[in-house]
Amino acid sequence: MTVQDAASQAALAELLLAMADDEFVLGFWDSEWTGIAPILEEDVAMSSVSQDEIGHAKALYELLASLSGEDADEIAFGRAPGAYRHAALMNHPRTDWAFSIARRYLYETADAVRLESLAGSSYQPLAQLVTKMRREETYHLLHFDLWLRRLTEGGPESRDRLIGALRDLWTDAQAVFAPLDGEEALVAGGIMPDRLETLRKRWLDRVVPRFAELGLPPMPAAPAPAPDGRRLHGIDFAWLHGEFTMVAASEAGASW
Amino acid sequence: MGAKDKVWEVFRQEAEGDPMIHGGSVRAPDEELATHYAREFYGRRQESERLWIVPRDTIIELDDPDLLKPPFDRSFKRPGGFLIKHKLEAARIRAGATGAEPIEELGE
Amino acid sequence: MRYPVAVNETERAEAFYAHVAGGGKVEPDDWMPDDYRAAVLKFVEMHANSELMGVLPEREWILRAPTLRRKLALTSKVQDEVGHAQLLYRVAEDLGKSREQMLTDLLAGKTKFHNVFHYPTRSWADVGIIAWLVDAAAIVSQQALRDSSYAPYARTMKKICWEESVHIMHGRDVVLTMMNGTDAQRALVQDALDRWWGPLMQMHGPPTKPETDRDLIWKIKAKGNEQLRQEFLSIYVPRIRELGLVIPDPALAYDEAAGRWSYIEPDWDELRSVVTGHGPMSQERLEFRRTHRAQTQWVRDAIIGPVGAAA
Repeated sequence: MTVQDAASQAALAELLLAMADDEFVLGFWDSEWTGIAPILEEDVAMSSVSQDEIGHAKALYELLASLSGEDADEIAFGRAPGAYRHAALMNHPRTDWAFSIARRYLYETADAVRLESLAGSSYQPLAQLVTKMRREETYHLLHFDLWLRRLTEGGPESRDRLIGALRDLWTDAQAVFAPLDGEEALVAGGIMPDRLETLRKRWLDRVVPRFAELGLPPMPAAPAPAPDGRRLHGIDFAWLHGEFTMVAASEAGASW
Repeated sequence: MGAKDKVWEVFRQEAEGDPMIHGGSVRAPDEELATHYAREFYGRRQESERLWIVPRDTIIELDDPDLLKPPFDRSFKRPGGFLIKHKLEAARIRAGATGAEPIEELGE
Repeated sequence: MRYPVAVNETERAEAFYAHVAGGGKVEPDDWMPDDYRAAVLKFVEMHANSELMGVLPEREWILRAPTLRRKLALTSKVQDEVGHAQLLYRVAEDLGKSREQMLTDLLAGKTKFHNVFHYPTRSWADVGIIAWLVDAAAIVSQQALRDSSYAPYARTMKKICWEESVHIMHGRDVVLTMMNGTDAQRALVQDALDRWWGPLMQMHGPPTKPETDRDLIWKIKAKGNEQLRQEFLSIYVPRIRELGLVIPDPALAYDEAAGRWSYIEPDWDELRSVVTGHGPMSQERLEFRRTHRAQTQWVRDAIIGPVGAAA
């Protein structure tokens, strides 16, 4: 099914941008671990995951570019910080290893729910892309569930750091499911088979029992995400934006 | 090395049907992480069909030349160990086989 | 390699050295003279250290890569370097020194890493020049190591050479794109080359005498330093000049009669000073690594358990 009307087209662009920006920003933060991760073997693993995210972001930006007529790099590198649509979960720097693992776990499980749903999208190019992405995400889910377990079971220090990180990130994690402009149009057209709030509840039904299973203390109540969950970004992202646009912005119109 | 850390050897298969070839080794405390890391080092470029991950301490090595390269002639155990070209030629001449088709033989 | 039963240490060592000098190979569990073991360990350890420290000049630019494709290529390249460090530390570890001890010695300044990784990177052009020319100089060395007498090292070098071939192409592409771009971009590349040429010429080390170079005699390495430098120049000087870049050595020229490149003698004092930790970025980078290692010690303790030696 092609996207016929302007309202659906605009809403689809919002959805693609949100997903692409999530992957792009997270891929950037975690790429900072390259060369300094706690274990050499893990350094390579984390770097692969970050590259996968940038690869997914690239594919999503390219899909968006095919609709808007822009260039994928322009979309990725050419906006002011306020125009990025990543979830609040991605506003934080990588901080320490427990923080990065906690964020990864929360994001990968949330993204898995989102991708599962979108695999049934009536918009074929997205459904196909999502199906490919899910195959790569298999490894991500395995890897971060493994780390969640290892840090929980690794002694008091790793457990405390992990619990602290999960608590710090819990509210912002809900923002992966923050409202999107035009969600109604997307749901009505089957481009989004499920509403975001449905997806968020499905995600909670998976992670909350998983935490209990591992003997982690329960998280605070998880209220529905604020409407600006994808619009307010703060100083850490402003710094990151400065870094990733530094070279790109240095020579207008140049090729790199 | 950490208290729980072990060395794991990784074998890889380049293409379907190929033999497993030794790639290298990784350090990890258990099977699960060893498998993830083996994938990273010997599979992240999509260069392998299959991997075997084996704890180094389960590998038995044999390199004793008395067992593997003993001195007496064992050529009878290998292809090419029988030289029959000249004997075959002599037999044909004796049998007077003219216009006979040469027969493909294994070895010489 | 095996030895007849009743043989003394000296004869055993002589047989060993004849074996390696004649192209014979050595595996980790083979008997080897202490000198040979120590020489291989030192060689491989410095190589491993260099891959690990080599990550740092480039890693700053991972965040700053200007396009999605460049970001992927650079992250992948730096990841490969970490991977190479792992491969080489594994080879060294199997000779009897733990990874943890090697990292401790590196960070305490007791062991060395290659000169080029002691210098700053100032622009995206540096990223291109490093990925192209520093990697090229390294590959010239690494290809010659694929036939090392120490077999695990030789096998690792084959894997590393295969992986590095992609990096050089990435580096050359970055440089070419800028050279075909704006005047400002071309100026950045020329500036980067001006700063990196000196370290590049020093990278293979001063010429050594073949009769006293044990690494050469024992075939740990196959070619001498000067031979490697000459190879690098023969391949890359034309490729650099064809882009319109000027190599900052007015004496650099191929001497047909002598069959070799002549050039201004590299500053061997600078090399010595830099590899003993007095390079512009030596201390800062070691301190960076020390800080991060300390910050992540809790993770290693949780996952692989505490190690006997101090972190």
